[in-house]
Amino acid sequence: MTARAFLCRCEDVTLGEIDRAIDRGLTTIEEIKRYTGLGTGPCQGKECTGALARLLVDRGLARADALQPFTARPPAEPITLGLLAAARAPFFAARPEEDPDPKDTP
Amino acid sequence: MDAEPLTIYFDGDPLPARPGDTVSAALLRAGHLATTRSPKYRRPRGPYCLIGECGTCQLRIAGQPNLRACLTVVQEGLVVESQNAWGPAGLDPTRLVDHLFRRGFDHHHFLVRPRLANVAMQAIARTMTGFGVLPELPRPGAPPPELHEHVPTVLVLGAGPAGRALTGALEAAGVDVLALDRRDRLGLSRWHPAPLPQRLLVDTGAFGVYAPERLIAAASPPLAGGSPRLHLVRPKHIVFATGAREGMIPLLNNDLPGVLAARGLAHLLERTDSQLTAPCVLLGDGEEAEALAAQLGVHRYAPADVERILGRDHVEGIVVAGRTIPCGVILLAPTRAPISELAAQAGAQLRFDGAGFAVLTDPDGRALLAPRPPDADDDPAEPPWQIWACGHVRNTSVDPTADGLAVAAALLAELAASEPS
Repeated sequence: MTARAFLCRCEDVTLGEIDRAIDRGLTTIEEIKRYTGLGTGPCQGKECTGALARLLVDRGLARADALQPFTARPPAEPITLGLLAAARAPFFAARPEEDPDPKDTP
Repeated sequence: MDAEPLTIYFDGDPLPARPGDTVSAALLRAGHLATTRSPKYRRPRGPYCLIGECGTCQLRIAGQPNLRACLTVVQEGLVVESQNAWGPAGLDPTRLVDHLFRRGFDHHHFLVRPRLANVAMQAIARTMTGFGVLPELPRPGAPPPELHEHVPTVLVLGAGPAGRALTGALEAAGVDVLALDRRDRLGLSRWHPAPLPQRLLVDTGAFGVYAPERLIAAASPPLAGGSPRLHLVRPKHIVFATGAREGMIPLLNNDLPGVLAARGLAHLLERTDSQLTAPCVLLGDGEEAEALAAQLGVHRYAPADVERILGRDHVEGIVVAGRTIPCGVILLAPTRAPISELAAQAGAQLRFDGAGFAVLTDPDGRALLAPRPPDADDDPAEPPWQIWACGHVRNTSVDPTADGLAVAAALLAELAASEPS
């Protein structure tokens, strides 16, 4: 087995690949995510984002108080499309004050 | 536990399991550390975090692809299959990728040109990788998914110690409070001794916060019994009590099967009344890592002193200061990182705490909202709910029970003030 140190196991992003991205001038979490694919696998960055942030701070590439993770979007858990399809708009049994105006629905 | 042992099947082989085991517990006990292969270098992988956070324990279980083995509880005759692997375990020819590309490969340029080579490479890559085969639909006898709607005054995400302390205080004051946790009842009660919330949806993971639609969505997995359920919740207050997780320590070969999260394994051992039998070491810094090593009875090393982890298909040892130490399991105990993705979706402001991103709050636990991007096109009026955070998601060094109680007091004061008496 080739010796590799992984930051993101989901997308197989190694420390070497992070170094290569940094060498090209990419020094924010968002940029490194876009270039290496880090954080885009099944766990959606849960395992790697903190470790990458720490690496950037330790190397003096980012200020701790200025760092932000990339945008968190649903779904935060793996779910099936079939389950999502169980949702039927309008949500919530109609309550008088929330009855949608039928003219507003396309 | 004295209950009758069960049998599950992993890639056709019968494995003994105990009632209450997760699939990961049964696989680890049987020595099946590697259960899948990684997408790019095709290296063997298996469970790591053991609490539903990481992405590598996903398996095809009872015909359903991509289920987390660490959150799926065994049943008699359960059929479990590895995913993203080719041919018999250990003989997967795609493992050569790891040897052929010793210096890594640059997917930006690898075989992009000539075009014919690119077409051939894409055909191979698409066939040999991928996460799971779609189920043969419809699954015979599978009940259709159900939709459940809830309109509680307070929704608490997470029923760990902080969530339980807060929910208990709100319940005692007669507040309409609903709690969710993706763990099952056994896992939660073995995790911590505090009583569970009265209105608690277990096996139910919140996956989305949709502010414009003013709802939180959560799902229960298909194998938790009965129909898969989608829950839509529209609360007045959301409390994030999601806790913290163990991220990754970047060490050479930190991806080998048998590298496990230390706290995740400690909880799994408690859940299953099991003990570690494999020779094992723990890697981590600080008091918490020391306490975990003492609790588990294993030797601790500082990650900075570890040169590399050794092994072929699973962990065989580590090299510390030039000395090889044989072991079958390596436990990583990094500083915990707050689990704040859902709070970020809800609009909470985050701050890097040295290990991860914590929810920024006022002293009472009210989350500070992030500035909205100028191009945000959803309803800008006002947030549909008040957001709170308690426990490790806002500060990994607080006592979660005490913090849950403190935030509950502030939340009760706010509810009392807003109530037209």
